Amino acid sequence: MNRRHVLGTLLATTCVIAFGSVGGALAAEDPSKYPSQPIRVIVPFAPGGASDFAMRLLQAPMSQALGQQIVIENRAGAAGNVGMDVAARGAPDGYTLFFGNVGTVSINPTLFPDMTVKPDKAFIPVSVASETPSVFIANPKFPPNTIKEFVDYVKARPGKVNFASPGSGSVDRLEMEQFRKAAGLDMNHVPYKGGAGPAVADILGGHVEVMSVTLPSAMPHIKSGRVKVLAITDSKRSPALPDVPTVVELGYPDIVTTSWQGFLVPTGTPKPIVDKLFQAIVKATADPTVKQRMLEGGVSAVASQSPEAFKTFIGKETARWAKVIQESGAKPD
Amino acid sequence: MDVLSNLALGFSVALEPINLVYAFLGVLLGTAIGVLPGLGPVATISILLPVTFTLQPQSAIIMLAGIYYGAAYGGSTTAILVNLPGESSSVVTTLDGYQMARKGKAGLALATAALSSFMAGTIATFIIAFAAPALAEFALDFGPADYFSLMVFGLVAAVILAHGSVIKAIGMILVGILLGTMGIDVNSSLPRYTFGVPQFGDGIDFAVIAMGIFGIGETITNLGRGAEAREYVKDYKGLWPKPHDLKEIVRPALRGTFLGAALGILPGGGPVLASFSAYALEKRISDEPEKFGKGAIEGVAAPEAANNSASQTAFIPLLTLGLPASPVMALMVGALMMHGLYAGPQLIAEKPELFWGLVASMWIGNLLLVVLNLPLVGFWAKLLTVPYRLLYPSILLICCIGVYSIRNDALDVIVASVFGLVGYVLTRLQCEPAPLLLGFILGPLIEENLRRALLISHGSPAVFVERPISLVFLILTAIVVLILLLPAIRAGREKVFAEDAG
Repeated sequence: MNRRHVLGTLLATTCVIAFGSVGGALAAEDPSKYPSQPIRVIVPFAPGGASDFAMRLLQAPMSQALGQQIVIENRAGAAGNVGMDVAARGAPDGYTLFFGNVGTVSINPTLFPDMTVKPDKAFIPVSVASETPSVFIANPKFPPNTIKEFVDYVKARPGKVNFASPGSGSVDRLEMEQFRKAAGLDMNHVPYKGGAGPAVADILGGHVEVMSVTLPSAMPHIKSGRVKVLAITDSKRSPALPDVPTVVELGYPDIVTTSWQGFLVPTGTPKPIVDKLFQAIVKATADPTVKQRMLEGGVSAVASQSPEAFKTFIGKETARWAKVIQESGAKPD
Repeated sequence: MDVLSNLALGFSVALEPINLVYAFLGVLLGTAIGVLPGLGPVATISILLPVTFTLQPQSAIIMLAGIYYGAAYGGSTTAILVNLPGESSSVVTTLDGYQMARKGKAGLALATAALSSFMAGTIATFIIAFAAPALAEFALDFGPADYFSLMVFGLVAAVILAHGSVIKAIGMILVGILLGTMGIDVNSSLPRYTFGVPQFGDGIDFAVIAMGIFGIGETITNLGRGAEAREYVKDYKGLWPKPHDLKEIVRPALRGTFLGAALGILPGGGPVLASFSAYALEKRISDEPEKFGKGAIEGVAAPEAANNSASQTAFIPLLTLGLPASPVMALMVGALMMHGLYAGPQLIAEKPELFWGLVASMWIGNLLLVVLNLPLVGFWAKLLTVPYRLLYPSILLICCIGVYSIRNDALDVIVASVFGLVGYVLTRLQCEPAPLLLGFILGPLIEENLRRALLISHGSPAVFVERPISLVFLILTAIVVLILLLPAIRAGREKVFAEDAG
């Protein structure tokens, strides 16, 4: 009787403690008090890359807007899938953010159908943060000087012109595939690895004729005259390159593309927290220093209209790239 | 004259007290992470990158560069003392450096490493100052076909690394190549040998294999020896190099410096390849190749000079063309971008104080490294008198921390432990691990460049003999194969005769 009593008391106490702590945890998640501890952002690429560059610029203004430290965690590997996996397993409490990009969120699901994380299920989109157009660059010794000449040149030599890319499933490759399809060209793809650097080096060295590459990676070489630019994949001309025609002007309005980066949070994160983060991103991307620094490299700092708008945008992007991947055979069968 | 005035500008920047402080901080940190296995320059620079945003751009880049070449410098310490390569570029240093330590000549080995590195650093600084633009153009001429032939040459030369059976060395190279093919294939995006584990998507990190096989493997081997054999020599002798030692160091260090400088400029090569090649070259041209692997001083001097000069000339494509040749250089691009600067030819014209300040700080950094490291030689050598039963748990612990720190993943620690066992078995079978590691580095590069060269040539293999650079390396490869085969054929015949007589 006595023993049973003791046991009962113990059990009751344990329950109280257990529920008490759950209650405490719930209280900590009270959205009005968010954020009460440092927030970690998973960047799925190595430091020094495009994603890392954008995130580090956003770090200070975002942390100012939220009144909390922001800790950047670079988890590179497997085309960003390692970092995406880590972020998806984070608690949905607003303290784990994923800094995804067009590759991880919109290309990888089609490219790697076996991957464990399904970004559309695992995450709630918050907002886009930066957009970067690409440019079609070529070695100065390559005869064509305009897109029209380029199309004629390739048509006269089907399958003979090589284009480089920083990887089989990279957005740079898919952009060229998209153009190839739109212009009805037959070209030969040469993939590289380790970022845009090695591929751009072979354009400079004249080993490969042409490639599509994000503006920041090409900028120093455009300035030094070691590569020539045929087109920019934006709808508006870039202030940094006022003489370069856009693909819209050239008659290919369907291939306007940007490499984008944006914030996502694990599914289950409360709506008020998502909204709070959204506001902070809007503020951070409007910061004059951030805007200026990004612009110097050819990147635009932008936020979405709303988290819902970002979700719609991602859906469109995923569908577009899925189509390009299937048509180009970039996907392993 | 122009270069001299530029250098004067560079030294005036590098000698500013604040920049001196950051150069010192950089090399100090670099030495520390060099001594700690696993934690490499890539990880350290990425941790410190945000700190540098608040600095002047030249101070930031001077400090980051100091970390980088300081690590190449400090990596040799544990390689020599306990067979644990602190950096991937010091793997080769274990071969003879550790043997020297086991013979009680740890101090001499450490001093050799420091002096060779300093010599290499000094020469490399001048190479950058006087010849950077011309060398960068040369690097651009290297196309995929040329890389393929260069790497094939390197791989064949790797057989020289082994001092035992040639068949076993070839076997080890093949195992290394197989390990190197792990990960997502560049051309098809198909995973190879990943066993469905996403972390294997990029293959296994070189440091994980190197630390497993060398650090953990050697520890198991040592514990397998009797208590007597296991203890290090108690009375260490010859702390400082004597004049005749210096004479033995100079030539190999010079050869290593120039070989390293050449390989450092080429993307994908870098300090690791440089140290391997320098060692192979020394062994090939030595009058007594049999002393390599048993504590030859040339086997420490040449690779240490090579990895140091390679890590400095790796800056050439970055600074003159804006092309990062390695992950560390990509980080430097990131660091400059944060300051709104873009590496490339315009940078030298627009911000000469940054470019020349960096060049000058490299030499100052190298001087600081010698000043920092030479007094420590006695201390490190004394460390070896610690009884092995206390030493080995520390080695294992440091190994685990180091491996874990590469990407904060416990899986790497497990993989390293498995390779520790592999390393032990290889030692028992008298198979040397160095050729395996070189196969691991070169195999994937060979495959990548072979496929790329053939894609560009639309399938025609003629490209390998039509391009002059490629042709030269293929001819050199053929010569090395002949050199290797001739003694083997001769020895084979002698063996037959010996059996007949028996």
